[in-house]
Amino acid sequence: MSTEEIAIVAVAQTPSYRHYNDTEPSLLMTLVNQILADTKLDRHDIDFTIAGSCDYLSGLPFAFVSNVDGFGAWPPVYESHVEMDGAWALFEAWVRLSMGDIDLALVAGSGKSSPGSPREIFPLQTDPYYTAPLGFDPVSAAGLQAQALIDAGKATERDFAEVVSRSRRSALANPNAQVAKDVSVDELLKEPYFASPLRKHDLPPISDGASALLIARGDKARELTDKPVWIRGIDHRMESHHLGLRDLTVSDSTRISAEKLGLKSGPVDVAELCVRYSPEEIILVEALGLSGETNINPSGGPLCGHPVMASGLIRIIEVAERIRSGEAQRGVGHAASGGALQQNLLCLMEGGA
Amino acid sequence: MSELPPITYTLEYPYTRTTGPVVGAFLTALRDGRILGSRCGDRVICPPLEFDPDTAEPVAQDLVEVGPGGTVKSWTWIAEPTRKHPFQQPFAFALIVLDGADTALSHAVKARGIDAMSTGMRVRAQWREERASAVTDVYFVPEADAVDTYVPPGEGEVELTEHLISLDFKEAIHPFRERFARGLIAGKFIGQKSPVSGKVYIPSKGYDPLARVAMTEADDVELPPVGIVAGYTVITPVQYYGQKETEPYIRASILLDGADQPLGQQDIKNIPHDEFRSGMRLRAVFRPESERKIVEMDNRWGSTGGVIDHWEPTGEPDAPPEKYLEHLF
Repeated sequence: MSTEEIAIVAVAQTPSYRHYNDTEPSLLMTLVNQILADTKLDRHDIDFTIAGSCDYLSGLPFAFVSNVDGFGAWPPVYESHVEMDGAWALFEAWVRLSMGDIDLALVAGSGKSSPGSPREIFPLQTDPYYTAPLGFDPVSAAGLQAQALIDAGKATERDFAEVVSRSRRSALANPNAQVAKDVSVDELLKEPYFASPLRKHDLPPISDGASALLIARGDKARELTDKPVWIRGIDHRMESHHLGLRDLTVSDSTRISAEKLGLKSGPVDVAELCVRYSPEEIILVEALGLSGETNINPSGGPLCGHPVMASGLIRIIEVAERIRSGEAQRGVGHAASGGALQQNLLCLMEGGA
Repeated sequence: MSELPPITYTLEYPYTRTTGPVVGAFLTALRDGRILGSRCGDRVICPPLEFDPDTAEPVAQDLVEVGPGGTVKSWTWIAEPTRKHPFQQPFAFALIVLDGADTALSHAVKARGIDAMSTGMRVRAQWREERASAVTDVYFVPEADAVDTYVPPGEGEVELTEHLISLDFKEAIHPFRERFARGLIAGKFIGQKSPVSGKVYIPSKGYDPLARVAMTEADDVELPPVGIVAGYTVITPVQYYGQKETEPYIRASILLDGADQPLGQQDIKNIPHDEFRSGMRLRAVFRPESERKIVEMDNRWGSTGGVIDHWEPTGEPDAPPEKYLEHLF
């Protein structure tokens, strides 16, 4: 094992499209070519590639194999895949580089949700005996979580609307956002319920898109960029998929990950949280122990653009970009999977030579 | 030019799962009008589990009856149900702590409206007349609306569950694939020639995977309807779910003259299997123009079904292996 630190040296993301009328490999190819151009590397300089995607999303069995076209697979390359958000692909790549024998890994996440019906697809993630036959979907899980927050006196519908209003306003500065608008809390609260106490704007927009980044070890990172973004740690944890066994008003997995990473041992300038449903932000902010000093979801977050399987990796990219620009020195990216924040990943990043 | 319709497809997988002792007992009891939980330490967990959720240790099987009444711990009113939900009119999903249980079950509540729902309300299980040994054999209603009915016991123990996954997809045909499709309808093969590697792809994916560059309409090329059998297999159809073929048939890759990538997945039913061979020269015979339809076209593989009637031997001498060995698939 190598103890050398690993840094993000280049990042790329597509816009969050409502419908992208071309293939998923073409989305990835654009990003891979952009990263190679930015770093002046050749495809075959890269030691390891890994992608996160989900065949069920666009209903194409073995779509993840077609996606390898985006990376360029001839002559053959060393590659891997996770049927998860690209943030978990980053975790595998980070562990792989820690072994110390290779220097560079290319990581991507991609997904097209527009061809299918996400509310019908995602119940298939749940328990196949007790939950999936009910068509129990993540929107419904988020509704139960939101009502539990209200009943516990931890939030109000106005708090949810405030998350949405602020996120959409922030997204006005994000060219990749799909939904961006200056809209007041009072206006939002006039909308009808969709999955009470949630309204449609408390949900993420159906999105197509991709994200990618390049990580490098130690001196290789310094050689490729004068602004490496060092990964100080990644921790991910999962809770029960039976909602009835959890306290839905807290995220223990996120809290424990933050403790393991020592998140609060320094200032957190920026946090990009995978807030797919507005109440999740309230739970995550508490679990991470964030204060008013942290800039939360300056990109607008998934409420303004949510290409599933790329969305978590985009959170990490958004933090890395702010560290590279000097806007932030230290920050955390969060990715989530499963209903009602079942599974969470934190990536702690810091600038410096 | 008229619009080509969007591509639609249905993805289906029929799952048959073994239940194991605990889920099987739960589903058997549910079919017969009773709800079971599992004792785990000093708690009763419902739905029952084979393991302790806190430690993941197996627990001795100790199932106890709970419900049919319970208390709503949280709920959400579903204004626009999906096709997969238990009700097609608005209803609630709720976390329900059944009487005698310590944990909540996620299930559906049929109520007159959102105003009939509240946290802490009492609900009661109702059994469906038609039961399928599935968790959907019951639903819940507000206690005041409950009607207790006789649930006749079924036969045997539930050991398997059937779950057909069926998902519909719809998307616009991608621009490069639309030009391929329109070419087929006009009786032409339209591929693309990479401006970087010079390779000719048909059907193109809109990019050159070797050079990793996007291609445009300017890269389109027409190829002749004549080519070489680059590889083939004789498929004996296994009668799996969704199989449409009954007799053995040939599936061939045909390398059109001038192409670097064979046209794959071509079904051959008119040439005897013992006469078919790699290197053979074939010509595409298109259906009459009025009968050409783009069927089973997708954005990934393309398809010539509904356009090409069959492939016929040209009678020319076979091509030597060096012409096609690098282009088998």
